[in-house]
Amino acid sequence: MNLPNYFLVDLPREATLSPVMLAEACQTLKRNRERYLAGRSTERIVNVLSDVAEAWLRPDNTFRKLALELGPAETGFSIPTLKRGLDDFFRQITRDNLHALLVQELGAPRRLDAMTATDLEQKTSRAAVAMGPEFLVHIAAGNIPNPAFMGIVLGLLVRSAQFVKCANGSAFLPRLFAHSLYEADSKLGACLELAQWRGGNTDLENVLFAEADCITATGSDETLASIRSRLPARTRFLGYGHRVSFGFVAKEVLSHSGGPRIASRVTDDVVAWNQLGCLSPHVIYVQPGGEVSPERFAELLADELERREQTEPRGELPAPHAATIATRRGIYEVRAAHSPETLMWHSKESTAWTVIFEADARFQTSCLNRFVYVKPVKDLTELLQNAEVVRGKVSTVGVAAPEHQAEELALPLARWGVTRVCPLGQMQNPPLTWRHDGRPALGDLVTWTDLEKGF
Amino acid sequence: MHKELSSFAARLCGAIQARDAALRRPVSAARGPCQDLEFDSFALELFALQFQHNTAYRKICEARNNTPETIEHWTQIPAVPTAAFKELELTCWAPPERTVIFHSSGTTEQKPSRHFHNAESLAVYAASLWPWFEQNVLSDLRFTIYDLRLLCLTPPPEQARHSSLVQMFETVRQKLGAPETAFVGQIASDGSWTLDFDALLAALNSSRVTRHPSLLLGTAFSFVHLLDYLAENNLRVHLPPGSCVMETGGYKNRSRSMPKAELHALISERLGVPGENIICEYGMNELSSQAYAVTSDKWQVARDAVSSCHLSPVTCHFHFPPWTRVQIVSPETGREVADGETGLIRVYDLANVFSVMAVQTEDLGVRRENGFELMGRARMAELRGCSLMSAQIANRKL
Repeated sequence: MNLPNYFLVDLPREATLSPVMLAEACQTLKRNRERYLAGRSTERIVNVLSDVAEAWLRPDNTFRKLALELGPAETGFSIPTLKRGLDDFFRQITRDNLHALLVQELGAPRRLDAMTATDLEQKTSRAAVAMGPEFLVHIAAGNIPNPAFMGIVLGLLVRSAQFVKCANGSAFLPRLFAHSLYEADSKLGACLELAQWRGGNTDLENVLFAEADCITATGSDETLASIRSRLPARTRFLGYGHRVSFGFVAKEVLSHSGGPRIASRVTDDVVAWNQLGCLSPHVIYVQPGGEVSPERFAELLADELERREQTEPRGELPAPHAATIATRRGIYEVRAAHSPETLMWHSKESTAWTVIFEADARFQTSCLNRFVYVKPVKDLTELLQNAEVVRGKVSTVGVAAPEHQAEELALPLARWGVTRVCPLGQMQNPPLTWRHDGRPALGDLVTWTDLEKGF
Repeated sequence: MHKELSSFAARLCGAIQARDAALRRPVSAARGPCQDLEFDSFALELFALQFQHNTAYRKICEARNNTPETIEHWTQIPAVPTAAFKELELTCWAPPERTVIFHSSGTTEQKPSRHFHNAESLAVYAASLWPWFEQNVLSDLRFTIYDLRLLCLTPPPEQARHSSLVQMFETVRQKLGAPETAFVGQIASDGSWTLDFDALLAALNSSRVTRHPSLLLGTAFSFVHLLDYLAENNLRVHLPPGSCVMETGGYKNRSRSMPKAELHALISERLGVPGENIICEYGMNELSSQAYAVTSDKWQVARDAVSSCHLSPVTCHFHFPPWTRVQIVSPETGREVADGETGLIRVYDLANVFSVMAVQTEDLGVRRENGFELMGRARMAELRGCSLMSAQIANRKL
């Protein structure tokens, strides 16, 4: 890929990063932030972000073209999967949405620019300003690019110098995004650094950890615990651990015509980023009693996944991942041969997609890459009993139910520990204002200064 | 009840023994003695018998629409995933006949894999084990096996009745006429395998003093335990020339894991056993035959390592005995991959007379001429769900 040499990640693969190089990069970032970013208005940053996002949506955009041309080889995602994933993300980054995010998180759109008061604050003679960390480090997991993308967007909004450490081999899309920002505004791009190495390289990571004011990290619970244990006490740590998601389909919507429609929405959720995100469903719980039975729903889902494979193929997998799917299919084939309580549908001559129906409603973690379970539950209570094993680890529940019922489900789900409830079909496509793992998006990054008037 | 299976077993053992001499030829020439036609005829006969006598297996075959009438060649015989040994009673033996059960050794598994045996099937096991072990592990030894001092780095059979590996070592011990004290492992209070270092060191030192070569058999993790102990105590034992090591299996979180090249280099350094006398074995609870890495490949690697002045990865090309066949199958298509490509290892083992001959492992390998190179295991979470071995389901469905 012929990109200019702006970031550490642009160095030739054989180049070895050293702690000295990283320390220098950190100092440069902080210097550039002071010069180019700290004094910028939120409005100007919002403009750059929304312009860059809009450009990514245009078919002739250089970075988009590179992403689609080289993406399949670099990431394993097929072109249609990349297209949809990128479009879903960049469509969210509009002026209006960014504005809404600032208001949601900080109460007022100019909260990061000046002492600002909401109506309520005015009445009590108060005002406040919020400030982001000087130096923000992101440790991004490798599965999908969204956490790195979103981290960069939020970090720019709060005017932080940012260092994004990508998992080895997963920097391709974040790198293109960083270049697109640099091209749109080189000074803003100069406040951003990207690198990749295999996690656990303490020599490199200790440099970042010593410099950072705030660190965000996505990854396994072990990775997060390891990072947290190596941070100075003053450093703010925002860890986003492993999460799983599932769906629920109420019997009322399972009519003869509704069944296929919902199967199509579930398919949207399963094929998005090949199910690799924390928001992708492992299991779809289906209530019996509708015109379409849970078993029939599983079959409809299989039909739809097969159709989608024609237009939005999963793409090739490395042998170990394919072997995991093949091995898992093997055991379900055995179970299906011995019991009508297990059924399996899968792509022929490939591991492209798999649907397992199991009467046993206990939550089962999927091996992902379009491998999904359908399980019957009579109601929400039974569902939550069966999902107890992942309680506290559930991000999103996608729901298909009559509107009033869906809203009624939200509160018990929240009380049980779910942090997001959304319509099926939107699971892997949260709005910009989404609170990741139930935490404020900007609110966790900033530090407030309150002004109490009446001197 | 199993007259036909017993008769098959006797003929198979006869065929193995009759060709024992042929087996002693260099490995590269040992495509036979079970040439394809003969293997095919044995395999089709055994498939028909297992279809008839192994109910759980028959159900799997029927679900795939495979019956003895539809199968024309051994390559079409349905393979059973190793995980099915956890859930089903994949055996031709009736419950009272199952006097020995081998369990898989994974420490984190909720359900162990189970391979049912008794004296008759263990006789086939021994008949399969010994000639291939002898040819691969003992053939290069420049001494008579009577001089050999055997050391097994596992607990003795009475402490590990369910371990097929210990059964294998016990079979070897009996064949070699070694004393029961050859077992220098023990079971710790938490159930894990440890070593009796005092006994082990005494045996190694005695081997050194008497100039009798040692043959050490153990898992990779037990060798790591030994090497760590020697390193901690700053000890080196220079075993007499001709000493030999056979290591097998993964680490299963029982010790720190290390690359094979490093393990072999440390064995050479601490025990004085040269790389060409370290043999890798690949076997599993679900099979009755074992594969060994061919020595000639390792010679090649040793030479490369010298010329490049650093440790090369140890390339182990494994070979099963001639009464088995191995396919490396694409996880995508289920078809055999081309030479040099990676896939899942599938073994057709005629010595699995009373269970299932065709076993689909979870291990990844690279196909190499007649053998394969071991790459690792497919990531396999424990799958929740009904255990099909439970009595209710057995009664209802079988």
